Amino acid sequence: MLQLQQVSKTYDNGKTALQDISFKVSKGDFVSIIGPSGAGKSTLLRTINQMIPVSDGQILFHEDDVTRANRKKLRTVRRRMGMIFQHYNLVTRMTAVENVLHGRLGYKSTISGVMGRYTEEEKKKAFELLGQVGLEEFVYTRCDQLSGGQKQRVGIARALMQEPELILCDEPIASLDPKSSKVVMDYLKSIAKDMGITCLVNLHQVDVAMDYSDRIIGVSGGKVLFDGPPSELTPEILSEIYKSEDLLV
Amino acid sequence: MNQAITLKGTSQVAIRVQTNKSGKIKVRKLDKSRMWTRVLIYSLIAITVYAFVTMNFGTMTLEVALPTFFANLQRIFLQPRLSHRVEWAALIDQLTITLGLAVLGTLIGAVVSFFFALLAARNLSHPKVSQTVRAIMSFIRAIPAILWVLIFALAMGLGSEAAVVGIVFQGIAFLTKAYSETIEEIDHGVIEALKASGATWWQIVFQAVLPSCLTALISWSFLRLETNFGHAVAVGAAAGAGGIGFQLMLSGNMQMDMHEVGVIVYLLLGVSVVFELVSMKLREKLLVKS
Repeated sequence: MLQLQQVSKTYDNGKTALQDISFKVSKGDFVSIIGPSGAGKSTLLRTINQMIPVSDGQILFHEDDVTRANRKKLRTVRRRMGMIFQHYNLVTRMTAVENVLHGRLGYKSTISGVMGRYTEEEKKKAFELLGQVGLEEFVYTRCDQLSGGQKQRVGIARALMQEPELILCDEPIASLDPKSSKVVMDYLKSIAKDMGITCLVNLHQVDVAMDYSDRIIGVSGGKVLFDGPPSELTPEILSEIYKSEDLLV
Repeated sequence: MNQAITLKGTSQVAIRVQTNKSGKIKVRKLDKSRMWTRVLIYSLIAITVYAFVTMNFGTMTLEVALPTFFANLQRIFLQPRLSHRVEWAALIDQLTITLGLAVLGTLIGAVVSFFFALLAARNLSHPKVSQTVRAIMSFIRAIPAILWVLIFALAMGLGSEAAVVGIVFQGIAFLTKAYSETIEEIDHGVIEALKASGATWWQIVFQAVLPSCLTALISWSFLRLETNFGHAVAVGAAAGAGGIGFQLMLSGNMQMDMHEVGVIVYLLLGVSVVFELVSMKLREKLLVKS
């Protein structure tokens, strides 16, 4: 479904973030990307929906090469990819359900999106999704009054509202306490398992990655150092991936 | 002056310290920008002193001028009353004209500024477009509103049209800067999130940017309304736009009736107090909500 071929990214300042990255992901996979800070995990995730353009290589989403997509094509690609962020990135002054409905903007004409006009089905779907993530009491609550875990669940509902085939998660639990982290990770896992939506998750917590993933990709210095099931991730490989951090300590 | 002494830290690493003439340790280095700031301040002080010493006071003598000044102040602030030339109803009528000028100027300015601010905000716009808009706006801002009114009066003739256009013009320059900086302060992640879901630029503006900074925009607009009211009074006299400013000029400069000036000053003061109260209430309400 998703295939990266020799993807490289060099920023304008000459810093190389990604080097020659290739991997394939299939429908319903739950894949974690681990690696030290600055390894290129965030960049990698953002090249997939072209929030960051690549310098070299191809990214195939189904049959489309997203790196060559024009604006219109890119829009149709992006709306099939949900995204979840470390800092939730909700419009805090709007209600939970309004934020969930933002997931539909990619499908709407500019004018009805600007006016915030949604169909009754869309609204119904938004309320249902909020119910699914356990926020039925908070549908009309402004998002600045929600806790971190609740905000992240609104973020998940917003991503699901896009009816995506792929969800990109950038450090989804890095700002959450252990209990909320578990709730969020459980939701993500069930999204992949029950709804067949592929999840690509950047994670700092290796133990969480081991517990939840079908597959782990270890990135360091912009390169893939490991790609395989959690059972094959040995302590030696881990210390190889995180060795630059050992140097800092 | 730059005699360096060496201190020994616990880690046995020598730290070089600079001292000044009297041997005290310096915590700041005199760099180029700091030096030029100093040069600038000293030359400004010198110019000020020179100007005061060599100033030509003309025929004015302090012994006569001071008592007259205080007498006028007393007439304005302690004995305000209207003469037979002006009626209360007419005065209130003129006040509403001035208020209308200010409100209209602010409203038109606010709407236009919002769109310019989108072009000027670095997180929404192309860097070149943003720079160009900024440069133009700072040029317009550098010239006082009264002057703009007079410039437009050349083309449109003296009157309230030139006044509105002039006030709007400079208001746009001010509000564009204020709005665009407000927009730049919003969380970049929100824009990123909507962009990643396939939202278009206009959808992002109205679904994320505007809701996030609406309260700040209202607050800035209100500040501008207060400024514009001041301008509206001034251009009433200067550009013949009418209103209370024109009456102020008649009473003060033509008829020299300081009692009447007093009434007008208190009236303007009242309006300012009302503005201040409303904006305070507004800010309170918005702050509680956010």
